Amino acid sequence: MKPGGYAGRILRADLNRRDFRVEPVPSEWVAEYIGGDGFAARILYDEVPAKADPLGEKNRLILATGPVTGTLWPMSGRTVFISKSPLTGIWGESHVGGFIGPELKYAGYDVLVIEGRAEKPVYVSICDQDLEIINASDLWGLKTDEVSAAIRSRHNDPDVQVAAIGPAGERCVRFASVIVNNARAAGRTGMGAVLGSKNVKAIAVRGHQGIAVNDHERFVELANDAHRRVRQNPQAQQMHKYGTWVLTAVKQTIGELPTYNHRTGVFSGWEKLSGDYIRPRYTIGDRACFGCSLGCKKVNYIREGPYAGTLEEGPEYEGLMAFGSLLGISDFPTALRANQICNRLGVDMISAGSCIAFATEAFQNGLIDSKMTGGIDLEWGNSEQALRLLDMIGNRTGFGDLLAEGSREASRRIGRGSEQFAIHVKGLEVSGQDGRTHRSIGLSHATGARGADHLRSLVTVDQLGYQEVAAKRWGCDKLPEIVDPYTEKYKAAAVVETENTYCIRDALIVCWYSVSWPPIFWMEDFAQMLPVLTGVSRFGERKNLIEIAERQVTLKRLFNAREGISRKDDTLPKRFTVDPMPEGPGKGQKVNLEPMLNDYYRLRGWDEITGLPTEETVRRLTLEWTHSHSASS
Amino acid sequence: MILCTGTLDEVDTLPSMLIVDQTKCTGCRICELACSAKKEGVFRPSLARLKVVRYDDLGVDIPNVCGPCEEAPCVEVCPVYAMRRDPISRMTFLDEDKCILCKSCAGACVNGVIRLDTSRMRILKCDHCGGDPECAKACPTGAIQYATAAQASVLSRHDKITGYLREIRRTAQTQESGGES
Ligand code: SF4
Ligand code: SF4
Repeated sequence: MKPGGYAGRILRADLNRRDFRVEPVPSEWVAEYIGGDGFAARILYDEVPAKADPLGEKNRLILATGPVTGTLWPMSGRTVFISKSPLTGIWGESHVGGFIGPELKYAGYDVLVIEGRAEKPVYVSICDQDLEIINASDLWGLKTDEVSAAIRSRHNDPDVQVAAIGPAGERCVRFASVIVNNARAAGRTGMGAVLGSKNVKAIAVRGHQGIAVNDHERFVELANDAHRRVRQNPQAQQMHKYGTWVLTAVKQTIGELPTYNHRTGVFSGWEKLSGDYIRPRYTIGDRACFGCSLGCKKVNYIREGPYAGTLEEGPEYEGLMAFGSLLGISDFPTALRANQICNRLGVDMISAGSCIAFATEAFQNGLIDSKMTGGIDLEWGNSEQALRLLDMIGNRTGFGDLLAEGSREASRRIGRGSEQFAIHVKGLEVSGQDGRTHRSIGLSHATGARGADHLRSLVTVDQLGYQEVAAKRWGCDKLPEIVDPYTEKYKAAAVVETENTYCIRDALIVCWYSVSWPPIFWMEDFAQMLPVLTGVSRFGERKNLIEIAERQVTLKRLFNAREGISRKDDTLPKRFTVDPMPEGPGKGQKVNLEPMLNDYYRLRGWDEITGLPTEETVRRLTLEWTHSHSASS
Repeated sequence: MILCTGTLDEVDTLPSMLIVDQTKCTGCRICELACSAKKEGVFRPSLARLKVVRYDDLGVDIPNVCGPCEEAPCVEVCPVYAMRRDPISRMTFLDEDKCILCKSCAGACVNGVIRLDTSRMRILKCDHCGGDPECAKACPTGAIQYATAAQASVLSRHDKITGYLREIRRTAQTQESGGES
């Protein structure tokens, strides 16, 4: 019998042959991976050969859902794009909210795999069993919002869910995003460039079928109760009001608000980037993704000033940071406008802001000049300049063409020591945290499968000092060090446990904000819900879920290892490990990565010297099948 | 303030209806999920008896529910009197045994919430869950309420939404005439 919550089918769109194949989800995958990131990791490792060009025909683009997707469980609208990243050359993934994941399930598929490369621009259209690869020459060049509107009107159905790339994806900007519902971005690691390289302008999905769960009545009861917990959670209520903007003030207070290309962690202009300031002035509506009772999305409107008339959802805290403090800009309208440009052109806001910050610091230090930038004298705090550069990146014009390669590659081409200002790990620009004042995130950035990533294992319990949660989760014996953000001690334990839970989150798939600060749901809640949803009783035990999570982490690591990643790559920019925090509450702090790495590898069952999974771990996690795809193939 | 002129008895018997305040709606579609879960035993928004229309370009979401209809076009149009109106609850309901599947009601419904289930060939019609509507219970924001007209706080909502749309149109025009894109 098919387990509950799944559509049970994988859909493959073969662009070379312009046709589709439908396969059943192999039954053993459910127990070993649950879904989402797990299924996608299984497919990507298996099907993309080592050293394959991320923008070449052999790369795959996977759109995956999990058994929770499209059900009544809170925040069930999330979905993930996974591929080998053209920005980093390793594991790439980007989760996104909105509505396309559930729609794919309603169409009858858990996973969509896009293979090959179309000769001319196309879009992939899925409506239940009606599958088509449709000419998209007339859509090429359009911005993402225009693509959605055009496809919806062509199909004469406003409920078609569209994932689109913009001009940036077409031009293979290395950090091009995929946009759904006009303003939700699968931003990181350049998934939009992969679609662009395949000549796929959009994926359009419409479904009319249902998702049956194992024990319907009990599941509805659990889900309704879970929604009640979301609605009653004080942090969730704050998030409903201010979205992730609540973080600006928190970060400023603890001295972790990335400012001037991560040079410092405090920003004098932070107040105008905080939720308290923004909401009453600019917010005109609250929105949510599918099935979400939290509703963190804010619709904002600029009434006056140079960006008057800008109406857009977002940005998140990360966007505020990237086009705010990181560039020394203290102006919400600038961030909103930048967000709109990013959404329309299809560019990752974090990487884009970070590349501009890199260029600005390099310019200020005389490593590049205005001849190179096409006459732009880069300076901090210049809104007009930042937006102009963003546009140039998205369209790959002038100096933007170089920055569109990402800060690692741009600094490599510029040389002259500019590498020190490229703030990335494994090629992925660092997100809005700082290991100096929050040690565990230093470890997360260094070990994250996709590079400097805050979504794989961001521990908030230490950062915000939740002693009780820490005691319950990791044992009293690890207090007080484990909640001290300035010590390396026990941080690997916190990171591993958090990463494990986040793996389950990304297999289900549910939203980050249901497990974030402080979590509404955790492993035990998933262990209670999953057997009711699926009927798979082994999901009811925490230890089994942990094993599934470990398998996911290790499989992604094996994927990266095949591309040559090892301990030497699990580093941080010198900015965090050598330069002490210059000011603020964390003044003088820096990261000592090595002891945390040793602990991390040990807990993961990876070799301490190489940082690679040991043979014993590979066997324990039943990943021996990866041996047959060795690096030489 | 609401002035209550009738006697208590009259107030008591005022029919309840689904009342929507779209300014509160976040477009989460939990109502559709809850409806299909209750009526169909699966999660299947396409068979929900209500429909949230999301306008991604405007950032506005509008739930469409059954009623309140002063005149009920679905009842008027039904050729075989399968769609009728309960004189006391004022609720329109479908007598499935009489229905000949002509789909007139689906076309006539001003809210677009009467649908044809093509897989099982039947008309889907909201019945307010017999007086305890699941959507109103599930809605996290209070955008759908089940109440009498007098209890509902809908007075300002039209002003709000029309003012908002007017503002958007105004700036869109300014943008077209000279503003940058
Ligand atoms: S919390 Fe925010 S991002 Fe997550 S599902 Fe809800 S609305 Fe979407
Ligand atoms: S449940 Fe409420 S807030 Fe969500 S879409 Fe329905 S009416 Fe809107």
